[in-house]
Amino acid sequence: MAIKAFTAEWADQLKDEVNKSSVYKAAAKGWKWTVGLVVEAEPDKHFPEARGLVMDLFDGEARDIKVGAAADAQKCDFVITAPYSRWKQVAKLELDATKGMLQGKLKLKGDLPTIVRYTKASQELTMCTTRFQTEWPDES
Amino acid sequence: MEERHLVAYASKEPSAFAEMLGGLIEANVRAHPDKRKDFDALIARVGIWVTDIDEGVTLVFDAGRLTVYNGLEPRRTITIRAEAETVMSLSNLKIGILGLPVYYDEVGRGVASKLVLGRLQIDGLLPNIATLNRVTRIFSVH
Repeated sequence: MAIKAFTAEWADQLKDEVNKSSVYKAAAKGWKWTVGLVVEAEPDKHFPEARGLVMDLFDGEARDIKVGAAADAQKCDFVITAPYSRWKQVAKLELDATKGMLQGKLKLKGDLPTIVRYTKASQELTMCTTRFQTEWPDES
Repeated sequence: MEERHLVAYASKEPSAFAEMLGGLIEANVRAHPDKRKDFDALIARVGIWVTDIDEGVTLVFDAGRLTVYNGLEPRRTITIRAEAETVMSLSNLKIGILGLPVYYDEVGRGVASKLVLGRLQIDGLLPNIATLNRVTRIFSVH
């Protein structure tokens, strides 16, 4: 059954997928920072209000992933910001997150050398979003 | 007292890629005295072209200063052409003994195979190997 994007259930499912991934566990060994994903509103895509995903990731494990206000996500150690439709492209593998950042389609705030060191872990996080069905607000 | 900026941008509107590379190099150089030594000694014009996003930059190193240009500027010492993922792999190369990049681990083997297969092209490589190694050390996050 598809889960509505960027909801509490979606975040729980993502957490489960991350914790099932042996690739993520190995690639994110040593990671100890919080990551915030800011999903900017796009009312014309039936996503009327910005939301934030706060990811408490530690040493290859997702300790918690919560959906809340964009302001909560902005307080994280690393913050990646993009409009709803860009995140949808990333989750559907239509846009590679690394390329998106190099092109400025995804805006990154945080220590660059650290995020570059964990490129493989961030790619696997993206892959985890593809391992369950998502219901996209502009498709339902 | 705040230290002077090490990195400047030639354009008033640097591309996201230019800001990312400039930011990465500045953070590396400030955090690692050995990288700072390389940075202070390096004089070179290095082009990086990302083939799958059709964007590039020129890094003009001038003994302790770096100016980042949007796009490829003339008179480059070295030009690296590769896909985005490979460019990120270059910054993930580990540095081994004698300050040489490590090409025998997973990341290094990936970079070396792309070089052999022509998916990583480095113009000006042969006469400038020492410069390339120095750039790699500055660029590496390890």
